[in-house]
Amino acid sequence: MRGRTLQALTWILSRLVPESEREPLVGDLMEEYALRANVASPAAALKWYLQQICASVPPLLWARLTRAAWISTLGVALLAYIAVGVVEFAVNRAISISPASGAYTFNPLALVIMFPIVVLIGYCAERFRRRAAIVLGAMMLLVVTLMMSLTTENMPAWFRVAYFFVGPVAAILGSTLRSKHISR
Amino acid sequence: MRKRDDSLGALEHIVMLAVMRLGSQAYGMTVRREIESATGRDVSIGAVYATLVRLESKGFVKSYAGEPTAERGGRAKRYFSMTADGKGALRNTHEIILKMGAGLKGLGSN
Repeated sequence: MRGRTLQALTWILSRLVPESEREPLVGDLMEEYALRANVASPAAALKWYLQQICASVPPLLWARLTRAAWISTLGVALLAYIAVGVVEFAVNRAISISPASGAYTFNPLALVIMFPIVVLIGYCAERFRRRAAIVLGAMMLLVVTLMMSLTTENMPAWFRVAYFFVGPVAAILGSTLRSKHISR
Repeated sequence: MRKRDDSLGALEHIVMLAVMRLGSQAYGMTVRREIESATGRDVSIGAVYATLVRLESKGFVKSYAGEPTAERGGRAKRYFSMTADGKGALRNTHEIILKMGAGLKGLGSN
């Protein structure tokens, strides 16, 4: 039972390194385990082995995540998308409770306020990962297209067009501004 | 234009020094042992491998497969050695540390 658990833990650990490093990593652990079992005791060696596996998972997992560049780009774009969603919700809520603005639905003010905010979020996303703002723009375009095709609301044509372009254009503008800032 | 990243992080620096000290005997576990015996710092084998893989992708170390041995369950070792770029990066990091430490008082042992 103990042997199988160790084997399983070692297998999981070996999956976190590139294929070329798997055999050497497991071999290194076995070599040191055998040495410690001879010099100290099998129990002490087993304790050391388990400690090594537990302590090795976080750095190897982090290295694996950072090696997969597209995952980080997608992750940053997703976080940026969530940030846009939260800000959009707050802006719509603020407009809806403001007596001067009337109903918030199809209010151009929301789009005007959101544009520079999305530019800023796109700029920040691009700062963390290159092309994250472009992915953000693509995500927004995809979601807006889906919403437009599924909605039953009677939306004015101007709002439909503006809603379709404002988010993606702002995200791409954020990306362009970041690129210009770096090249300066 | 962006400058090529030839800086070393703290653990990268220590691992590079261990690889240099070990010469032709530098592989994962010996690097870990060298760090432990020289610094008293308990570093996991995973942290050593993650650092070695990163250093290899930066072109600071290169690796080659060794022979399989019985005490390793028939698994081969992977030896690491420093490249010319790696030596340059190590020299740069040392220079930076020496420059930053120059003239500082109060760093001596108690």
